[in-house]
Amino acid sequence: MGLKSISTKIYRTLASVRTGIFLIIVVGIFSAVGTVILQRPTSEPADMQRAYSPETLMWLDRLGLTDIFHAWWFLTLLCGFCTCLIFVSIDRWPNAWKVYANPVRFAAAPFRAGLPQTVKIPVTDSASALSVAERIMSRFGFHAERVTENGATGLFAEKQKFAVFAVYFVHFSLLCIFAGYIVDGAIGYRGNIRVPEGEALGQITLSDNRGVESKKALPFLIRCDAAGEDTYADGSPKKWWSKLTLIEDGKEVATKTIVVNDPFVYKGIRMYQASMGQSSTPKTLIFQAMPTKGTEPENVTVPMNGKATLSDGESLSILRWVPNYYIQDNEIYTKSVEPENPAVQLGLTNAQGETKKLWLLYDQGNSTKADGAPFVFALKGATWAQFTGLQVSAQPGQFGIWAGVVIMAFGLVLAFYTQHTRVWATVIDDGKGGLLLWVGGTTNKNRDRFQTKFEKIKAALLEELGGVATANKNSENTLTRA
Amino acid sequence: MSEARVEQQRPASGAVLLVLVGLGIAFALLVALLAAAKAHNGPIYGEANMLYAALVLYTGAATLYMGYGVTGIERYVSAASLLTALGFAANTAAVAQRWIVAGRPPFSNMYEMLLSFVWTLALLTLIAERAYKVKIIGSITMPITVVSVILMQLLPSEVRPLVPALQSTWLQVHVTLAMLSYAACAVSFALAMMFLIQDNMKTEGFQAITATGMIAVYAGMLITRFRSGNLAVTAYDLESKSEVMISRGHPLFIQIPDLGWLYLLVLLSAVVPLALYVVAQVKKDRSFFDIASKGMFVTILLQIVGLAIFVARVKNGRYGTPEAEGLYATAMPANPFLLAGIVGGIVAGMLYLLLLWRREGLQKMLPSADKLDDVTYKIICIAFPLLTLMIAAGAYWANQAWGSYWSWDPKETWAAITWLVYAGYLHMRITRGWKGRRAAWFAILGFAVVIFTFFGVTYLLPGLHAYAAG
Repeated sequence: MGLKSISTKIYRTLASVRTGIFLIIVVGIFSAVGTVILQRPTSEPADMQRAYSPETLMWLDRLGLTDIFHAWWFLTLLCGFCTCLIFVSIDRWPNAWKVYANPVRFAAAPFRAGLPQTVKIPVTDSASALSVAERIMSRFGFHAERVTENGATGLFAEKQKFAVFAVYFVHFSLLCIFAGYIVDGAIGYRGNIRVPEGEALGQITLSDNRGVESKKALPFLIRCDAAGEDTYADGSPKKWWSKLTLIEDGKEVATKTIVVNDPFVYKGIRMYQASMGQSSTPKTLIFQAMPTKGTEPENVTVPMNGKATLSDGESLSILRWVPNYYIQDNEIYTKSVEPENPAVQLGLTNAQGETKKLWLLYDQGNSTKADGAPFVFALKGATWAQFTGLQVSAQPGQFGIWAGVVIMAFGLVLAFYTQHTRVWATVIDDGKGGLLLWVGGTTNKNRDRFQTKFEKIKAALLEELGGVATANKNSENTLTRA
Repeated sequence: MSEARVEQQRPASGAVLLVLVGLGIAFALLVALLAAAKAHNGPIYGEANMLYAALVLYTGAATLYMGYGVTGIERYVSAASLLTALGFAANTAAVAQRWIVAGRPPFSNMYEMLLSFVWTLALLTLIAERAYKVKIIGSITMPITVVSVILMQLLPSEVRPLVPALQSTWLQVHVTLAMLSYAACAVSFALAMMFLIQDNMKTEGFQAITATGMIAVYAGMLITRFRSGNLAVTAYDLESKSEVMISRGHPLFIQIPDLGWLYLLVLLSAVVPLALYVVAQVKKDRSFFDIASKGMFVTILLQIVGLAIFVARVKNGRYGTPEAEGLYATAMPANPFLLAGIVGGIVAGMLYLLLLWRREGLQKMLPSADKLDDVTYKIICIAFPLLTLMIAAGAYWANQAWGSYWSWDPKETWAAITWLVYAGYLHMRITRGWKGRRAAWFAILGFAVVIFTFFGVTYLLPGLHAYAAG
């Protein structure tokens, strides 16, 4: 077999509706299977281990059945279907274009025989019969043109001829949707970020289908200016909101208050309100200041980036905050971000502008050393910043999806609510020396309704041409339907 | 002489039911009016009263439509359709008031969904009757509205505030379209079944379909709710009128002892007629069909007994569970899908019996097979674009709320499969000229998938995994 015949064979297979239907049925079956077997990205690994025995799970994993919708063979099936759709459309395009641009205008004998709706009425004069036909056709909305072929004159009219493209719109819309989905699968991403109030962060956490996490830097920083939860009178949540400012190259470029269902879109990257909570970053720290000489202790609240003034005029600021510390080589390091055992370095500045640095270690007596300072400080509490949990996604393919939906809606309207209807008329020889007005028509859908309409056209023609027809003795018999 | 007497009697027998229904409605409305005037609780035209009026009127309409189904007296239909229209007006008033009070369309919980569903169904019934002259359709749809309104009386009806994720116009667009498209699919299913009746499909065939449907319902219930002979139902706190939750999204299941065995018996009784049908087909021996017919009676009776015992045991009694300490009550509204399954099985059985006994009468009442085939196609031509837009609106909402328009969640996947099945129907019909019986079967398959998407995905698929885990 030659290369050419093989490629023809492949083309013929892919350009067949049967292949397309087969592929889409297979896709449907595997999709259904994917809803019965727990799928990796949506189900927690622990749930899967509970649902299946280790052996079953191993086999399911090995067969690719635990992540069907992202498996290479599933995508291949989808792509195969798309190819089929393209080839089928290409294969049938010349015919559709011919029907649209260059239709059969003159109904010659072989063509006449193939039409579903026809009528023949005996007439005496060709020219007057055609003008009667033209008038009646136009009464029913068919504005006919006169065509001549091999010396014979005929009429041709058509309505809603663009209906032949309906199927192309629908198929093209499906391709748009698949293309959008593939683009998003290839270059789109989706991740999470938690931004505490007052901070600006720019790195999101992505997690792949196996639950493995990775980091990705955004082209800008997201700063959370404020975040909060409004509740209904009964305490159930009414609204989660965050005021976000985006910082690109050190400049504030955009700001918006987002709520659930109303994301922030900037340069194709969308930020959604996903969750909300208290972060482990303090907003303020509360200390008890015990004067080393005499007087009563006082409580002082120090903001993280500001300072508080003590009653004797000295000011207190926080130089370093370590939520959970450990000491190695006489240095303080961060063990975790959870504020379990904090260490705080305080700066105490007197009226002369001299700053004294004091360390407070929570598990070492929770107190600063006197060290000549006028106060000893103890950590009494903190207020915590709200964090806003954002989902960040870039799906450039989604425009293909929405475009596809709009095109499909248009295509479906064309497909269901328009129909291409064609009507021809000509005068033919009845074989016995007489003349017959021949009228025929066809439509691409809703045959029943067209049949009713054609019957009306026929009745109108008979009424108009009845006088002419009575001249013929056998008028009743000549009136036949092909 | 005898012929004349028969003719005289027929309208008289029609009048008896009309008068009875009329008196019944007048009495029920009068009692309600007196009660409302006495209680002084809100205006007469309030939502609860309007819903009650709709229930009374729909019940009257359902009775007359079914009377038409049994006797074929045309007068019933005009009276029934008047009652449906009046009930629809009352229903509209109820929907409008809830919309105004809540300040949003009523789609946010089971009660509001049913309220809108009933409204849509009544509207479609009136349209099908006026525009397509399918008079018998009311005898199927109106009983469904009555059952739904009764179910609504059991559900908590106070206007609840919306959680943030549901505060989206797109969600409401999505749900409205879903409701409309599923209702259209239901109508196309009913029409396809009628087509099969008109097309002289053998009654045994319907018996096999009915039995298969019953087996599917009971197998679904037993797979998810059978706990070593007991039947698991959702615990319900009667004080707060809400389900008892173990944790977020996980309701507590309590076990009604031995009810599981009864339902297993029902399942087996539905398997018998289907098995006999298969034997009869293979052996080409019609005598098996007669035994299968008797088997159908047995399973329908058992199902009615099953429903009665279910209702009795749910109403009275507190039950325990290995999952938690103590005894808990349950209630009908906590188990809408079990109830829907059991009632659905019985209704299907009743429809089968109607066909078995009154096939010729039915065939005379129904429009011609060609007409039914054509209307089925037209209804699917309406349902399919709605289905398409429903999926698109859902995807758009998901994209606004969660940042992903498609995540292959089972509900989404099954919605796509539904779309594919109906696309297949239209493709075959338009390009291959599939008509008649093949098309009717395709429409029935489509609706089976719709049912699975609506109920199965919510209750069967997670249940499957919960069971595997337990």
